Amino acid sequence: MNMHSKTDLRELSYAEAIREAMDIAMARDERVILMGEDIGVYGGAFGVTGDLVEKYGTDRVMDTPISELGGAGVAVGAAMTGLRPIFEFQFSDFATLGMEQIVNQAAKIRYMLGGAVSVPVVMRFPSGSGTGAAAQHSQSLEAWTAHVPGLKVVQPSTPEDAKGLLLAALEDPDPVMIYEHKILYKMKGHVPDGYYTTPIGKAAVVREGKDLTIVATSIMVHKALDAAETMAAEGIDAEVIDLRTIRPMDRDTVLASVRKTGRLICIYEAVKTLGVGAEVSAMVAESDAFDYLDAPIIRLGGAECPIPYNPELEKAVVPQVPDILEAARNLAKGRV
Amino acid sequence: MPTEVIMPKVDMDMAKGKIMSWHIAEGDRVSKGDPLFDIETDKAAMEVEAPADGILHHTAPEGMDIPIGTPCAWLYAEGEEVGEQPAPFAGQAGAAPKPEPVEADVPNDTKSVEAELELVDAIAGEATGKVRATPRARSLASGAGLNIVDLIGTGPRGRVQELDVENEIALRDTRPAPLAAPVTFKAETGALAVTRSKGGTGTPIMMIHGFASDATSWAPMEAHLKHRPLIRIDLPGHGKSPKLRIDSFAELVREVRRAFDDLNLDAAHLVGHSLGGAVSIALADTRAKRLSSLTLIAPAGLGPDINGDALSGMCRATRAESLGPWLRSLVANEDIVTDSYVRLAMAGREDTNLRAAQSCLADSLFPDGVQAFDLRAALERIDTPTRIIWGKQDAIIPWKHALRAPGKMALHLFDGVGHMPQIECSAELGRILSSSL
Amino acid sequence: MRDTVMPNNIPYAISRYSAEELKDALKKMYLIRKFEEGAEDSYMRGLIHGTMHLSIGQEASAVGSCMSLTDDDKITSTHRGHGHCVAKGADLSRMFAEFFGKESGYCKGRGGSMHIADPSKGNLGANGIVGGGLPIAVGAALSAKRLGTGAVTICFFGDGANNEGAFHEALNMAKVWNLPVVFVCENNKYGMSTSTERSTAVKNISDRAVAYAMPGVTVDGNDFSAVTEAVDAAVERARKGEGPSLVENVTYRWRGHSKSDRNRYRTKEEIADWQSRDPIVAMAKLLVDHKISTEDEVAEIEADATRIIEEAIAFATEGDNPKIEEVTRDVYTKGAAA
Repeated sequence: MNMHSKTDLRELSYAEAIREAMDIAMARDERVILMGEDIGVYGGAFGVTGDLVEKYGTDRVMDTPISELGGAGVAVGAAMTGLRPIFEFQFSDFATLGMEQIVNQAAKIRYMLGGAVSVPVVMRFPSGSGTGAAAQHSQSLEAWTAHVPGLKVVQPSTPEDAKGLLLAALEDPDPVMIYEHKILYKMKGHVPDGYYTTPIGKAAVVREGKDLTIVATSIMVHKALDAAETMAAEGIDAEVIDLRTIRPMDRDTVLASVRKTGRLICIYEAVKTLGVGAEVSAMVAESDAFDYLDAPIIRLGGAECPIPYNPELEKAVVPQVPDILEAARNLAKGRV
Repeated sequence: MPTEVIMPKVDMDMAKGKIMSWHIAEGDRVSKGDPLFDIETDKAAMEVEAPADGILHHTAPEGMDIPIGTPCAWLYAEGEEVGEQPAPFAGQAGAAPKPEPVEADVPNDTKSVEAELELVDAIAGEATGKVRATPRARSLASGAGLNIVDLIGTGPRGRVQELDVENEIALRDTRPAPLAAPVTFKAETGALAVTRSKGGTGTPIMMIHGFASDATSWAPMEAHLKHRPLIRIDLPGHGKSPKLRIDSFAELVREVRRAFDDLNLDAAHLVGHSLGGAVSIALADTRAKRLSSLTLIAPAGLGPDINGDALSGMCRATRAESLGPWLRSLVANEDIVTDSYVRLAMAGREDTNLRAAQSCLADSLFPDGVQAFDLRAALERIDTPTRIIWGKQDAIIPWKHALRAPGKMALHLFDGVGHMPQIECSAELGRILSSSL
Repeated sequence: MRDTVMPNNIPYAISRYSAEELKDALKKMYLIRKFEEGAEDSYMRGLIHGTMHLSIGQEASAVGSCMSLTDDDKITSTHRGHGHCVAKGADLSRMFAEFFGKESGYCKGRGGSMHIADPSKGNLGANGIVGGGLPIAVGAALSAKRLGTGAVTICFFGDGANNEGAFHEALNMAKVWNLPVVFVCENNKYGMSTSTERSTAVKNISDRAVAYAMPGVTVDGNDFSAVTEAVDAAVERARKGEGPSLVENVTYRWRGHSKSDRNRYRTKEEIADWQSRDPIVAMAKLLVDHKISTEDEVAEIEADATRIIEEAIAFATEGDNPKIEEVTRDVYTKGAAA
């Protein structure tokens, strides 16, 4: 355990941590600008940008028209020519309107031009379900962008990482997509003072254990930790890994854990098929860690279904703690 | 030639039948046409008649599935020698029946999908020779030199998992050596150690000690028997005798009998304690003419009960601290087992090969803490004058086994005495022996 | 279309640019023509794979639009971008090397015909997506304004892109933020096979400028002077902080959309008619008529261009292919691909 000074132990919400990161970045680098819909005086649909416009003005905290494609493209063009834009999609669902600029332009320009130009753009995607916003405002589409070489994709699960990963993204010369879970915005947690970065491409072992490995992303990290505590009382010692970055994925951390425990569950909110869980599973199956597997790999992901409106239905389509517990018990007891 | 009794086909699409019950007991006479057994098929239950006259032998167990047309018993003619079963039952281990997946005998109505899968998998696995095992189990097994096909999987659908391999490794490390090829001790050959006292006249007294003991255990009692020549035999794997490979009680008796025969005695008074008592009964059963009397001190062989923990505890003990408690359990008054006595006893057991040999012997004679040999019938046959001596606080073999002895035998029961009367009340024993010799 | 002749009857370009600048412009037009012809020839000889979009017939629009730009000014280009690249000052040898997929090409063989770019000259790249460059150009203009570089961005796009949502979003934002960007629409009449009459509600694409409260003008895109006059004015406005403009250069591509085009949607007569209005012939005549060049000099300029193209093709032919093991290089700035 590190020694923390008193100020080090202060707590911020996830949203406040992101705002603090943006504030720090804007204060130290004139090139950093914020772009997005209603991020100015409104403070952002989820209040993330807050009052930054008062501090930095409308020239640097730019409300865009409702133009996801155009806005994303402007951010790409600005990033190519000297600015460090942070572009906020109001909901990650709306990024589907900006996909052209993300996938065809931001991801590929550096490569297409033989490395002559970089696109250091940061894009933020408020995502996930749990807010009763139904099918078009609740998706987890991170696997879409994670499928595209040239992009980096992160999913912070804590206020500390939300700040650290955003500052790391701004240091990164390549486009970084940050998927923030809307339910986490209010979550409080310890956030160190001042400037620091959380490395992109590095997972965190947030709970050590020996019986099984749970690889989780975003909000599922917290559900996995909850489940792990219950399991511990039952004598099942789960290791929980917060993937944090899904592209590039931290192979070493995941494989080392699987070699140790021989059992793997991947938990993520996005639709189960063809997602992060498939990638983690394949990564293990294709590696020497395969020889250490003592049971089939389990994926727990969202149902093959749009996110429904009714709160009970909404809960039912994404993995919950009891689902994790059941899967983990079965896995630990050799029942699968 | 005995007549085969087969499982008859009594139904159009019947593939096999199950014997519900035999009407005739094994070894009983039956006439052709007598009801012999009831069978149950998929559709009906019915009675099957004896196909010939004869005496019924080698009956298939009730409840066993038997394919039609295969034997389920044999009828022997009067006086015909009944040897080994002519052929194994189909479906029995060793019979190597062909799996018949489509005939899988699981009632449809109660069969879960899972069970069905399991069955299909099991059959498929058998057919292809492939084993369902996790990668981790495979690599562990391979690293431990185990063949994955030899392992029993306890996972879903019989999958071999890490735990199964670990259990197998643990089992292999602790499992007593198989009878045919013990690996835990270095087997020796040679004659048993026999010692004789100097002096004394008349018919000699020959003494056979008990398990985990040796000839020196007679010393306290010998003090009271100096007037007679004394002969002591060390059991195989005990005292100064070689660590012979002994796989059964019969073998043990054979070795002792050979030593006895080699002595060429015209007559002897035989005294045996505990296991030595059992050996003495067997010896008396076959060498009655050369024995003048038989004295059995807390003998084994008269019932199944024995304190297995004490036996294995003594075998396992590698130092005085662990041997002491077990030695004290042998006697009623623990005070007589002093620390120095324990150290002395341990010194005599320092040879690990000796302890291993005794462990193997115990495993053959007292598997799972049960006396695997029964000498009550032999005891009944003995006409040699016999007395039985027992301590009523015996914690190793219950003294009440003594009550199974025939009435012609004398019984001396000592209160306040444990399993070692020859030590605990050696003077009394000396007197009893002297008075009657 | 606007009158392209100054009050004293001297065309704008003649009065605005020096003889050297004008001869250089003619040379660039020849270079574009020869580059495209060389590319087409290489394609037909099987020396390259993939397809290409040739801008033969559109040379005046490309060169004329870039006349007043410096290397600090930016352009974004289109899938028909060879001409813009030459106009912005690119090296023909490296262009051909890229066309041939060589490591010595501008994109080290990773981009090819559709992505030839020279960022060192302010060319942010051709683009394979119709309308893809529109928002990017606005972003570049945003950088220029925010960083105070004084640079202007010209956004080349075609008539097809004017019907993309990106066009609307980009022009709207450019005006909302009053950014230094000039949208130059090269209306060559067809988006692949579909004519502007069939695809676009307004008669002139420049009419759409009204919707974004910016100046809009349509000019003869084959008239070098007309193009320079309109675009220069727009660039000047942008530089002065007066915001974006839309200029429509009406022109024509002589070749098909790409090499797989069988020209079934237009007549031979239409093509012949436009070929009779060859922008290079017109430019040469302009220079000769105004005594900027003699006919011999024009012939020399053309011969010079032919020689440069031959050398470029030789350079490209001799270049090394990229190493297979380096295929993922430049996906990310540092380290291996994820």
